[in-house]
Amino acid sequence: MATLAKPDFQNEPRRPNIAKAGLQLPAVKDYAQVDREIMGTLRPTKAWFTLLMAAITCLGIGATAWIYQIYAGLGVAGYSPPVMWGVYIITFVFWIGIGHAGTLISAILYLFRAGFRTTIYRCAEAMTVFAVMTAGLFPIIHIGRPWKFFWLIPYPNWRLLWPNFKSPLVWDVFAISTYLTISVTFLFIGLLPDIATLRDAEKNPMKKQFLSILSFGWRNSENEWRHFARAYLFLAAFSTPLVLSVHSVVSFDFSMALVPGWHTTIFAPYFVAGAIFSGMGMVYTIIIPIRKFFKLEHYVTLNVMDAGAKLTLFTSMVVGCAYLVEFFIAWYSGVQVEQDYFWNRVFGQWWYAAWIMLTCNMILPLSLFSQKLRRNPTWLFILSLFINLGMWYERFVIIVPGLSHEFEPWQWAGYRPSFVDMGILVGSFGWFFMWFLLFIKQLPVIAISEVKEIVPPKMRRPASSHGGH
Amino acid sequence: MAQGMLGVFLEIDAACDAIAALKQQNVGKITVFTPTPRHEFEQALRPPRSPVRMYTLIGALSGATFGYWIAIWGSNYWPIVVGGKAISTWIPYTIFAFELMVLVGGLSTVAGLFIHSRVPRLTMTVGYDPRFSGSHFGVWCECPPERLHDAESIMSNAGAEEVRREQ
Repeated sequence: MATLAKPDFQNEPRRPNIAKAGLQLPAVKDYAQVDREIMGTLRPTKAWFTLLMAAITCLGIGATAWIYQIYAGLGVAGYSPPVMWGVYIITFVFWIGIGHAGTLISAILYLFRAGFRTTIYRCAEAMTVFAVMTAGLFPIIHIGRPWKFFWLIPYPNWRLLWPNFKSPLVWDVFAISTYLTISVTFLFIGLLPDIATLRDAEKNPMKKQFLSILSFGWRNSENEWRHFARAYLFLAAFSTPLVLSVHSVVSFDFSMALVPGWHTTIFAPYFVAGAIFSGMGMVYTIIIPIRKFFKLEHYVTLNVMDAGAKLTLFTSMVVGCAYLVEFFIAWYSGVQVEQDYFWNRVFGQWWYAAWIMLTCNMILPLSLFSQKLRRNPTWLFILSLFINLGMWYERFVIIVPGLSHEFEPWQWAGYRPSFVDMGILVGSFGWFFMWFLLFIKQLPVIAISEVKEIVPPKMRRPASSHGGH
Repeated sequence: MAQGMLGVFLEIDAACDAIAALKQQNVGKITVFTPTPRHEFEQALRPPRSPVRMYTLIGALSGATFGYWIAIWGSNYWPIVVGGKAISTWIPYTIFAFELMVLVGGLSTVAGLFIHSRVPRLTMTVGYDPRFSGSHFGVWCECPPERLHDAESIMSNAGAEEVRREQ
């Protein structure tokens, strides 16, 4: 559901305004053009096929590494006491975070009537689903005996055992499975009208039959739209606190533990802001090549990029503020262990990771104060790669230094990821991009029915005599 | 068996004019098809409020209740005894209540959408044209045989690109 009140169709001004929803698509003239151009992106190309093969190859590397780990045991994963949480938990938090921008764009910005979301939310929603699917693999990989993961799920069983409901790991199970279910539902409900459009345009009888089943017989009747609008609104309203809760629950995995640097009340908002920031980074990594290679520059306009960049800048500053507050808390607490931990993080053992984090997440995004750079897709793409890198290192900096520098000197150790860790990390990117690449050639990357809300319909009389949308 | 007249319109104001005239003359039951939701049709048809909100409310309350219940019951059935700590405690269990509120509330909302929109639909039924998901608007007027001519003339006069009888 597009969110515009009264679009005007003048030339696109250089003044994006998040709050006023001023999305304009002057180069999009009518409904037929929308159908033609967005459905035109579904034709497979050689470049797409090459990328898909690359993603499957990465997935193969990850699968091989995992099979080897199952055969050889968790010892090959690079863990060395006391650092028993490493790349798998880092990458789990990283992918959960990536998933947050999708729901932010599709649900929260919908409730705020931010028009710039209209042409990017489908990509972001799909990204959310695939990112959460990727993240969900990591706790299973991490437990070493993946075939026993279902022990975390509360169900009546012959052992008469129930999980510990006070454990953050069980909270995670509930939060992430709810998030995945609601994200998939939200994506699918939004897709229904577009699948019906594909169905009606399809000539191949078998494909048409498949799309008919997938569209649930959607007919675009006014009655259907009326209930659809209401359901979409409520799903958005549910998804909004869900986004906040999921990464808060993930942060509880750490903040409930008595580990230096972890046991702090700032973690929930800090994680949520970081998640949205990292998600925006991944949205740019995905949407900028898509708009270029699918020739969708007149849908994902520079104003859309500019508005998203402002959001990225804002979340970067929230995250930066959280980094600084963490240091302040350690200093002000007067607790020697906390102070040593933070010193070790920035100037000691883990200096390289901390400075990568600070540079990518705090310093480089400051460039977005420049409107010229906010409207430069090449710079935004490069910056998004740095943000992805920086946010992975942020989770590294949270997890590894805490465990490697606890209360007693005998607990001080190092950590070096093994080739199995890195193989599975590469595999997770392969898994994510494989699903995403398959998605973009099967279903529209831009919501057709919502874009049509922005495009003025054909009129017999001048628009002013009939009232606006 | 449903029978009526289907008008295919390229212009939205023409479709709205046809709806207004059909309503004024009380020709039959009107269904409108539109590729995207438009307030013009809402104003022309004046439909009642969607009852989907009730599904959301009932689902959300049931989910929250179940979330508290499963955590409290599970803890009491399989107690993990820690000195000075309650067996069941509501603060962490609010997480289960919240997550299940969202989960069951969200799925109930979708159930409400499906029930009231009558989807999944196995057949497309009469009175639909593939152009209605593209760039055309449709007005389907289900009426008795003696009013078919009235419906046809109203839609043609309003500016329908095509008017056809279906049953």
